[in-house]
Formats: sequence, C-alpha cells, structure tokens
Amino acid sequence: MDRIDELADALANEATPVSRAPRPLWLASLWFGAVALYLLLALLLAGLRPDWALKLGDLHFLAELATLTAVLAASSYSAALLAYPDLHQQRRPALPLLLAAGLFLVALSLSWLDDSPPAPLPLHSIECSLLIAFFALLPALGLMLALRRFASTHPGLAGGASLLFAFTGGALWLRLFELNDSIPHVLLWHYLPLLAAGLLGVWLGRLLLKW
Amino acid sequence: MSSGGGLWSDAGRGAAVFAGDRRKVTPVANETDFEALMRQSLIGDRSAYAELLRQSARLLRPFLERRLQDRSSIDDLLQEILISLHKARHTYDGNRPYKPWLYAIARFRLKDHLRALYADRLADADDWQELEALSAPDVTESLFEYESLHREIGRLPEKQAEILRLMYREGFTARETAEQLGMSESAVKVAAHRAYKKLRERMEP
Repeated sequence: MDRIDELADALANEATPVSRAPRPLWLASLWFGAVALYLLLALLLAGLRPDWALKLGDLHFLAELATLTAVLAASSYSAALLAYPDLHQQRRPALPLLLAAGLFLVALSLSWLDDSPPAPLPLHSIECSLLIAFFALLPALGLMLALRRFASTHPGLAGGASLLFAFTGGALWLRLFELNDSIPHVLLWHYLPLLAAGLLGVWLGRLLLKW
Repeated sequence: MSSGGGLWSDAGRGAAVFAGDRRKVTPVANETDFEALMRQSLIGDRSAYAELLRQSARLLRPFLERRLQDRSSIDDLLQEILISLHKARHTYDGNRPYKPWLYAIARFRLKDHLRALYADRLADADDWQELEALSAPDVTESLFEYESLHREIGRLPEKQAEILRLMYREGFTARETAEQLGMSESAVKVAAHRAYKKLRERMEP
C-alpha cells in the first residue's frame, strides 16, 4: 500500500457527514442583510443627516446612494464567490462588481457636473475616512472570520472584496449621516479610501485566509 | 453505500493513469462517478470517500507529472492536495461538476509549491551571488577569483563541497540534494549555509 492509499484511508476514517456550505447568492444575501442591519442600527444611534427629507428629492443623491448600494451588494456577491475554491464555477465572477462600480462612477460624475455653483468644501478631511474605517471594522472582521471557514483559492482577492464590502457599508452610512454635499470632498475622503481598503484587503487576505 | 457497483466505469472506458509507470494501469472513474462518490462521501460514506480520494489522486498524478519532474515532490504535493480536498469538501455541493472544483484546489496547491520552491532557490542564489560578488570587476581578475573560489570549495569538508557542487554546478534544489546524499533537507541547508560562511571568511579581503 503506497502513501497515497494510506492517506486516503486515514482521511476516510475521520470523515463524518458534512453540512454543505450555502450557495453564494444565499451567503451574499446573508452578509448584505447583516451589514444593512448594522447600518440601520448605526443610523438609529447616530441619526440621519438633518436635510434628509430634502435630499429625498435630489435625483443625483438618490442615484449615488442606489449605485453605492449596488457596489455593496456586488462586493458581497464577489466575496461569496471567492470563498469557494472554484468560484462556484461562475464564468464572470467580477462582472457584477465592475458593472456596479461603473454605474456608481457615472452617477458620481453626473453629480459633479451638476454641482454648480460647487457646494462648499467642509473644514474637516481625513476624519471622514477614519469614521468610515471605524464603521467598517466590525463587518470586515466578521467577514474575514466567515471567509476563513471556506477554502478560497484567491485569498488576496477574497480579502480585497470583503474589505471593499465593509468600507462601502461605511461610506453609505456616512453619506446618510453627514451634512455635506461637496463632491470633491466625498470623492477624495469617502470614496478613494474604498480603493485603499480594497488593496489593504488583498494584503490581509493573503495573510489571513491561508488554509 | 460501498465504493463498488454502479459508481464505477468499466476499465475499457476509464483513462489510463500513472503516466511513466506502465506497470500500473488503473481505470479512473468518469465525471458522473466522481460526483456520485462525492455526494456519498458528504453524507458520511467512508468507503466511497476513500475511493474518491484514490481516484482523485490518480486523476491528478498525470497533471502534476507534466509540471514537476521530481517524483517525491509529486507524491508530497498529491498528499497536500488530498488533505486540502478533505478540508474544503464542505464547499462542494454535489450539484456542479467535480473536476473543476478538484483542479482549482490542485492548481492552488501547485502554485504554493512552486512559489516555495523558487523562493528557496532564490535565497540560495542570493548566497551564491554574494560570494561571486567578491570577485573583482576586471575579467582577468574575475577568472582568477572564480578559480580561487573553486579552489576554496575544494578545501571545504567533503560533504559541504559536494553539497555546493550539487546545488550550484548541477542546479539541484536543497531537497533534491538531500535525496542524492541521503540527508535531511534542513541538514543540507545548514551545511550549505556553513559552507558559504567559511568561503566568505576566506575570500573577503
């Protein structure tokens, strides 16, 4: 009996019935729902921006929120696919995220073009990025722990998608919380950090999602 | 459910495996069989699981043999892949083809293996380059230094000289060198490191 046969027998002897991992769409919905609840809780505690009723009539703002929500959902789905060794055999796993990000950039560009006269720049700057990071800590930690229970063969990308997901939740919360309409400010201090978070996630994923 | 009976394809339809070892020609179960075996395994059928692991190893061996030369590396990697399969088996739901799932794990482990192998060679190469850097920029002097380097290697204890010869003249990895000399890989690395140290001390001006 060779080493492979011995190993096969040893592994088979310790095999017990296994509960199968949920499907990616279900997994993504679960994560999305959890972050939505967390967002709701944060808004209940911190409150909505004072002009929220007025902003409900601002199409640009609504489009920005809708497309940002799409990025949140798509990054959750991407992270879920990346949790499986074979990406659940989806042909274009990055397509939903690329589409959502494209729509978001279009919505933001239209807001910027229409921002005339430009809304005043707020006095603060990096505080917004720090608030987003603070919001994202818990979901990022939860998602990394959840991903460790799977078997990603793309740990860097899985980490990147999960941090993008967590930080997008933070960015969404801050847009609903902060009284601020300066597009250059939100671009620089709210949305560019999402890219940095994604890159940090790639590094963390390679470190933490080894199996 | 046992591993026999309807789960297996007949030998005529099965692919020949163990490329390079013509004495053993074993049928590999077809795709449907793999999925059926995996579904049985997931509900706790141990004999189906053992057969699944064996058949997966047989399926993967030619894949690895096309990419790696060293037979013991192939065996080690096959074992790592089987352990990974075992850890990840909950991510297979039985409703999608089994082979792409298995090959995704195999490629992942192969990449890990190659990364470690090249990192190892690179580290050794760094040591060697450090020694070679001791030679002067002038061609005549370089040749002289090259000759003196080889003379110094000749003055090393026999085992250390042999290790350097195998690793740098023949291009063997630490593991391959260890196999050639009947030593452990870590003993080879330690001996090579000591040899570099001695050479550096003797050759530094």
